[in-house]
This record gives sequence, structure tokens and C-alpha cells, in this order.
Amino acid sequence: MKFRVERDVLADAVAWTARTLPVRPSVPVLAGMLLDAGEHDGRQRLRLSSFDYEVSAQVAVDIDVEEPGTTLVSGRLLAEITRNLPPQTVEISTDGAKVVVSCGSAKFTLLTLPVEDYPTLPAMPEMTGTVGSDVFAAAVSQVAVAAGRDDTLPMLTGVRIEIEGDKVTLASTDRYRLAVRELTWKPQDPELSAVALVPAKTLADTAKSLTSGAEVSIALSAAESGEGMIGFSGGGRRTTTRLLEGDFPKYRALLPDSFNSVAEVQKAEFVEAVKRVSLVAERNTPLRLAFADGRLVLEAGTGDEAQAVEVLEAGLEGDDIQIAFNSAFLLDGLNAIDSDIARLQFTTSTKPAIITGKPADDGGASDYRYLIMPVRLSG
Amino acid sequence: MSVFDDLVGQDTVIEQLRSATRAADDLLAGGAGAGMTHAWLFTGPPGSGRSEAARAFAAALQCPDGGCGHCPSCHQVLTGTHADVLYVRPSGLSFGVDKTRDLVLRAASSPTGGRFRVVLFEDADRATEAASNALLKAVEEPAPRTVWLLCTPTAEDLLVTIRSRCRLVTLRTPTTDAVVDALVRRDGVDPGVAAEAARAAAGDVERARRLATDPATRDRREEVLSIPARLDGLGACVSAAARLYELAEADAKESTSALDEREKADMKAAFGEGSTGKGVAKAVRGAAGALKDLEEQQKRRATRIKRDAYDLALMDLAAFYRDVLAVQMGATVQLSTANRRADLERVAASSTPESTLRRIDAIMECRRRIGANVHPQIAMEAMTAALYLG
Repeated sequence: MKFRVERDVLADAVAWTARTLPVRPSVPVLAGMLLDAGEHDGRQRLRLSSFDYEVSAQVAVDIDVEEPGTTLVSGRLLAEITRNLPPQTVEISTDGAKVVVSCGSAKFTLLTLPVEDYPTLPAMPEMTGTVGSDVFAAAVSQVAVAAGRDDTLPMLTGVRIEIEGDKVTLASTDRYRLAVRELTWKPQDPELSAVALVPAKTLADTAKSLTSGAEVSIALSAAESGEGMIGFSGGGRRTTTRLLEGDFPKYRALLPDSFNSVAEVQKAEFVEAVKRVSLVAERNTPLRLAFADGRLVLEAGTGDEAQAVEVLEAGLEGDDIQIAFNSAFLLDGLNAIDSDIARLQFTTSTKPAIITGKPADDGGASDYRYLIMPVRLSG
Repeated sequence: MSVFDDLVGQDTVIEQLRSATRAADDLLAGGAGAGMTHAWLFTGPPGSGRSEAARAFAAALQCPDGGCGHCPSCHQVLTGTHADVLYVRPSGLSFGVDKTRDLVLRAASSPTGGRFRVVLFEDADRATEAASNALLKAVEEPAPRTVWLLCTPTAEDLLVTIRSRCRLVTLRTPTTDAVVDALVRRDGVDPGVAAEAARAAAGDVERARRLATDPATRDRREEVLSIPARLDGLGACVSAAARLYELAEADAKESTSALDEREKADMKAAFGEGSTGKGVAKAVRGAAGALKDLEEQQKRRATRIKRDAYDLALMDLAAFYRDVLAVQMGATVQLSTANRRADLERVAASSTPESTLRRIDAIMECRRRIGANVHPQIAMEAMTAALYLG
């Protein structure tokens, strides 16, 4: 194998592929990165792949191939090397059981790993549609924040993707909060209806990393074929991941549709105030909010301990309300909305509240909703 | 060539697995798949190749060509890197419920290659009671494409509820001729040495290979077998027990250290050790976490290999007394310790068949005690004293 490639192109591709390398590989070859230089899709390309049995990543870049070939080298080492190369053309060639990377005056020799031992990457499922990469990344990050991190409840560590024609709904919950985002996309089949449960962390990382292309293609394998995989591709990069099994809670029933009071607060001020006041909130003690007379009073800390109070301006329609939240969950919700003004909708102090951004036109509904369970106050 | 070629003396099992593989292909093609099932239990005496058989079957299930033995899929299954084959090798003495739950979860995911999700559980008898119950649930209600391959010495080693849900694959003790043939053909061992090793190993292919290829192992076995003739007083009993313990420890250390070093070297190489240039040191440091995991696993395995080594030494002793009994009864069976004819005759002449049986019982009692965490050397002293008293 022998080829030449520009340093920036190579470093980008290697860094992206290296993200999927397992930190503690169960078998040594998984720490390797597969380099495959040759004719792919009618062009001279270098394909870099990594795989940890759950997630696979592959990127293809255009190069000048002098001699096609496939080799496996330590992925972290290659990433470390390419990051530090001078900005010139890099030449990579195999020499027996070694790979030589040379760039300007720098020269590296890497030992190869047994390429025949490397597991076959899963095939990409059939493409089902496309969505704008920025929109998708933003939507996923808004939702993934509410996903659970507890591995004993695996179905809650995922983001549920529901596809109904040209509408996609993303949802995740950890039982204390629930985030739902709706967006439109371009399905291949306008009648398409599908659901998938994708590991939240993987989905968030993937969506973020695919913003280099304008659009992301989503490929979901049909349930009856028994291959529980979802694939994403865009800008020459593709990743696949195994879907999670298990029943996702029926979350739509949890979203209340009528409210007794609706408050509007400037988001930036609100976030700052929550951060300050919650400094005195010990672990698991709630942050108390009181809405009345165009004001919002934030309080934390009780009795003999340190206390904090801050007052903000707030618009309120409907009944006055006093309610308490876990401050971290409240901050997650406020940070996730994409508007300068946060709208909070309440029924009573013991029922879940909904946080949304204030829509640009007053009548419209927000496409992102963050449901948060209040903390019951004693006495 | 086929993945089943390496199974020694197991023609019936090979036929059974081949037909199951054909049924599995039929199942994938949308047929009824009669003859294929989701749970298999591989049983057979130590060294008969339970896990090798299970691995060959896993390869055959993943191979589009029924286990051709040379495609990438077969190669990956046989080297242990295939994405849809989950290998479970309990490294310690037992396998706990937490690991089992994790395993059950991973086993439920769909195959990425479009064929089967295979779980190959070696030494499933090491699963604790709670772990077995967790396992039962998965074997009872398997995911559509998941296939469980469990390996235990006998079917009785598993919960009856798990056993009843598995199809049984019973490997038999390979004949001495089959073992000799395998050693000569595969390892290029001289036929004379192979025959002796095969007889000594009494059907354990792996042990036969070690005896045939490693002189140190052979010497240690000879020394173990010389013990009965040396027991002429309580002092000799104590020193014989000490020696027996030493020999077993040495045996265990030899098998562990070679394995440990190779695994560590592989892991370091995967993180870039041995390469040259700036950045290598930093990348190799990244292996620290993975190496720590590996070392912990190796430590647990070392304990287990030690146990196995005591057991092996004791079984050699038991084989000696079995041959003594054969000589006493005038039976014309093949003697696995035939090269110690003089010792056999002497012990046989100086004792009765009843006392030989008592001696064999003493060895079995010693194995049981070691299994119950008695210090091996103490248990062995009690045993050699019993052997001396007869």
C-alpha cells in the first residue's frame, strides 16, 4: 500500500474515526484503525474505519493512490501522530509488517496489527431519508440532555426516534424530566412510519460530528429483517450503531395540555440567577420558585443552613404559583431551549411543569418541550 | 477444509452440528429451520474439546458457506474477534450475577452481520446460582436471532431448568488412536512420543499435546507418579505432599506466565508499542487502563489455573492407583502409567484391592477439600498420609 494525502485532510479524518475507538478494547485488534486505499465508488479514495462492536465509523477521503492495499494500525497512535504533523503532504506506505508515515522531515514507523483478525464492519442499512445536518445536531442535543445514564434501565439511556411521513419526533427521559423535539425531514417514502431507540450518547456525538456536510442521511433497517441497526452518513462520513431493545415509556400521555398559569422570564438572567442561588442548595435539596405580582423569587437553603434569595422580573398569566425543582434539571431545560425568553407552564405545584422557548409569533407552538417533575415540598 | 476438521474423534457430533448448520441456513432463508434451535449445551469430559466444538459451530453458523474455515467470517470467529459472537470465559473460579445480567443484555441485541448473534459461554458450570437464574430467563425467552452455546463437563452441572431448554451435544472421550493421529498430523509429533502422551493423557487432547511437546510437563508428571513408591513413613508423606504442591504450582506458573506475557504484548502493540517517532510514548500510555483490566483478569485466571493444576496432579496420582487396581485384578486394559511397571507391580503386590480403592477415595477427598478452599498443601499431606496407611 502506498498513497499521498494532504495533512489537514488526513488529520481530520483520522481524528474523527478515532473517536469511536474503544478506551478499553475487549480484544486488542479493536484498538486498531483500518486503512483501505484503493478504488471506492469509482474514485481513488482512502477509507478509514473503526469499530467497537456497538458503533462503527468510516470516513472516505480523496487521495492519490500509488499502490492499493489494506492495513491495520494502532488508532490512537495514528491520531496522535497526524495531529502533530507539519502542514505538508503526507506519504503513507507499507514496508513488510510496518507502516511508514512521512511528512516533510518527519518520519514515523508504525507496527501493523493482524488485519485479517479485524471484525467485518456492519453493512449500512438502506437509506430512509435526509435532514439538514445543523437542524439535526441541534435537535439531538436538545433531547439527549434528558436521557438517563443508568445502565440498569437501558431503554432510558436512549433517544426514541419516531418517524411519521415527513415528521420526526425525538424524545428521551430519565423519569425526572422528559424532552421532546419535533422536526421535519425528507423521507424517501412519504408514507414511511418507523421507530427506533438509539443510544443517546452515541446519537449526540454522531449528530455533532456530521455537521461538516449540509445534510445527514439516516438509514434505518426494517424491523423484520432482524438487523437492529441505524446508520447516519454525511460529508463522506458514515457511522452505524446497534439499536437498544426495550419498551420506551408512553410519554405522550405525560405531556399536560391545559395549564393554570404561564410565566415568561428572560432566559439569560434566569439561568444566571439559578446558578447563583443553587450554590447554597446542598445535594438533592430543591430550588424554590415563587411567581407572583410580575416577579419571580428564587430561594434555596433552609433553616440553619446557608440561604440565598434572588428576585427577577417575570410575566405571569393565571394563578400565582410556588413550585420547587432540582436545580440541575431546571438548568438543563433552560439551556436547551432556543429562544431568549423562557416560557414555563404550570398546572399545580405537584404536577409536572413544561419549559419551552417563547415562539417568534405569539400564536405558534414551540417544537421543543422540556417536561420537569417538581420536588414536593414538605410543610 | 472445514471448521470441524480440528475436532478430534467426534464424528457423531460433527454430523449433528453439520445438519444443524444446514437447518440454520434454511431458517435464515425463511424456511422452518427444523433441526436448529436457540440453545445448545456442549458436554464432555475435560479435554474432549467442548469449547472447540462450540466455537466451530459458531463459525459454521456465521459462515455463509456452512463453516468453510477460510473466509474472513470463519477466521474472525476462530480468532475470537467476530462482531456477532460474544465470548464468555469465566476467568475466576465463579461467574457472578452482575456479569450475567450484562451478558444477557448484550446477547439480546441484533446481529450486525445479518446472521446470528451467538453467545459462546465456556465453563457455564462456574455460574453462581443467582447467575444461573438470570441466565435461565434469557435462555427461556431468547431474542429471535440469538443462539446460546453453553459448555459444561456434564449436563448435571447446570440447573435442570436451563438444561431442559438446551439441545444436548455430547462429546465423547476421544480414543487414544484419534489423539495420536491428531498429534502426529497437526503438531508433527513423533508417533512413539505421541502414543505415550495420548495414553498418559487418557483422552484429554490438550493435555496430550502438552505432554508430547513440553519435556518439563512430562518430567513433572513422572515425578508425581513416583510419589506412591516413595511413601515409606510419615516423614516421607509430608515431604511428598510438599513436593506435589510445588510441582503443581510450577505447572500453573508455567502455563500462566507465557499466556499473560503474550496477552500483554498484544494489547501494548494495539496501542502502538514498538513503533517509532514522536507521540508513541503518549499513545502507549493510553493502554494503561486496558492493561489494568487485563491484569486483573489475569490474576483471577491465575487462581483458577492453579486449582486446575492441583487437580491435574491429583488425577495423575489417581490414574496410577487405578492401574494398580487393574494389575491386582489381572484386568487387561490399557494402562495409562504403563512406563512405571515396576512401581505398579510393587504397590500391587504389597496391598489389597480394597486398600487401593480406599487410596483412590483419599485422592478424591483431597480434590473435594481443595475445592472447599482448604490449603492445598495441608489437604495433600492428609492425602499422602492416607495413601501411606492404605
